[in-house]
Amino acid sequence: MVTRATVILAAITALGGVTAAWAQSPVVSGARSASSAAAARDISGFWALSVDSRKVPQAKLLPRVTKAMLDLHARQDVHAIRWCNPIGLPMMMDSGAIDIRQGPTTIFMAPESSLVPRYVYLNRKHVSADIYDRSTSGDSVGSWEGDTLVVDTIGFHPTHGVTSIPGGGFRTDKTHLVERYRLVEGGEVLSVRFTWTDPMVFSAPHTYEFRYRRLPPTYEAVSMWPCDPYNEERAQFLGDPAPFKAGKR
Amino acid sequence: MNRIVVTSLCLFVMAAASRSLAQTKPDSLSGVERLEGDWVRIDPNGSGDFGGLASTFTVASLTPQGNAAMEGGQRQAAAPRGPAFTESSRHDSGVPYIVVSRPCAAGPFGGGALGINPDSGGIHFVVHKNEIIFAPERGGFRHIYMDGRKHPDLTRWTPTASGHSIGRIENGELVVDTIGITPGLVTAGGWRSVETRLTERFVVSPDGKHLTIHYRWEDPAIYQKPHEYQYEFDRSPEGSYALEYWCDASDPAEQQSVTPPSQ
Repeated sequence: MVTRATVILAAITALGGVTAAWAQSPVVSGARSASSAAAARDISGFWALSVDSRKVPQAKLLPRVTKAMLDLHARQDVHAIRWCNPIGLPMMMDSGAIDIRQGPTTIFMAPESSLVPRYVYLNRKHVSADIYDRSTSGDSVGSWEGDTLVVDTIGFHPTHGVTSIPGGGFRTDKTHLVERYRLVEGGEVLSVRFTWTDPMVFSAPHTYEFRYRRLPPTYEAVSMWPCDPYNEERAQFLGDPAPFKAGKR
Repeated sequence: MNRIVVTSLCLFVMAAASRSLAQTKPDSLSGVERLEGDWVRIDPNGSGDFGGLASTFTVASLTPQGNAAMEGGQRQAAAPRGPAFTESSRHDSGVPYIVVSRPCAAGPFGGGALGINPDSGGIHFVVHKNEIIFAPERGGFRHIYMDGRKHPDLTRWTPTASGHSIGRIENGELVVDTIGITPGLVTAGGWRSVETRLTERFVVSPDGKHLTIHYRWEDPAIYQKPHEYQYEFDRSPEGSYALEYWCDASDPAEQQSVTPPSQ
């Protein structure tokens, strides 16, 4: 007896087979893998760090890097924040949500805590050091190695912005940073491995990893609050109460 | 006969739906990718200064309410901000003097205001299917959402220097609709409130080397008719890159004119 259930089961099996065959057909799976490959090579989105996002070992510093040098950079960092200067790398990657947008030639990174963004150029090599105007974020160029975006940065300004590096040390005009960006956990997490080298600061490459969580696609970017360098109460709080000195230097 | 009419109607509805969908949430940014890159505002009429740049624009036609708001804004902009805000006495050529008492008062220009009204600094676009970035070089950036979202309810929106922008593509051109900007002066005698609507149309020339941004400000409380003008830009030479805007408020030299003008 061919029951109604048997017919339904046969129909489901046949449908499943067709579906599986459709999914495995070279045309469809090729299109899907191309699509997923394209998605894996697009790190665009709003991203944020959480309390469990940072894995930062202690940096191995050269003997020439003294506590006095580290203290000087720490004081310069407070000064940069107190006077509302651009903070630059590495701090801009460790503060608030970040909007990352990947265009055909450029990747734009805009932390909500900074009015000065960062550009990663995908279509060129580093600008000649003869003409590059050193900056707090340096000159960044990127390229894809499989599903990993490798960003290479040089051209840092030695004193502008916040120069201290997580785990110890600081950036100089000889610093070289390599970042490896990779989507994990189904694209919901962005892993970034930062590796800093500097012949004047580190005795070995200093590598640490941040993992950013993807914010909802409906997220609305928040504008940075106005930073007022003339707010004396704020300056007192930050421990750098030096007032503005009017007139010639 | 009836079947032909019905079929035609169906096709018409499908075409309209398709067109509507394409204008709200594009699957492709075909044509708009050409916007990506670095641009610099130019002076097409050779006017020679910033005042001259807008001298050929039609002056805004304001309502009495708009006129009062604009004049109040002008008075506020001209008012001294702290002692010795502006030093206007004569100085010998080559001698630096104080031109502003509190330089970099809000850090770099806040929130992308220069994306609404670009000056001589470079501007930069990064084009992604869900969002286009418009970044003026002297600070801040605009987020232009292309993902089909609507504007927020203005009663729940904190006004910003660049407002809330949503974009669509019409005939291969980017059209951006913005509301929620902080009140302030608008080029060529205009004024804007949080409710004022700005529509920008970004037109890249066929050779990709020239950009025109058409501006249209609309607000029945402020304008008797839409206030329109356009800015012109050239693409920066190949190999250009975005400069970092540096203004250090702790440096007294920031108060002075860089090159004292001849007297």
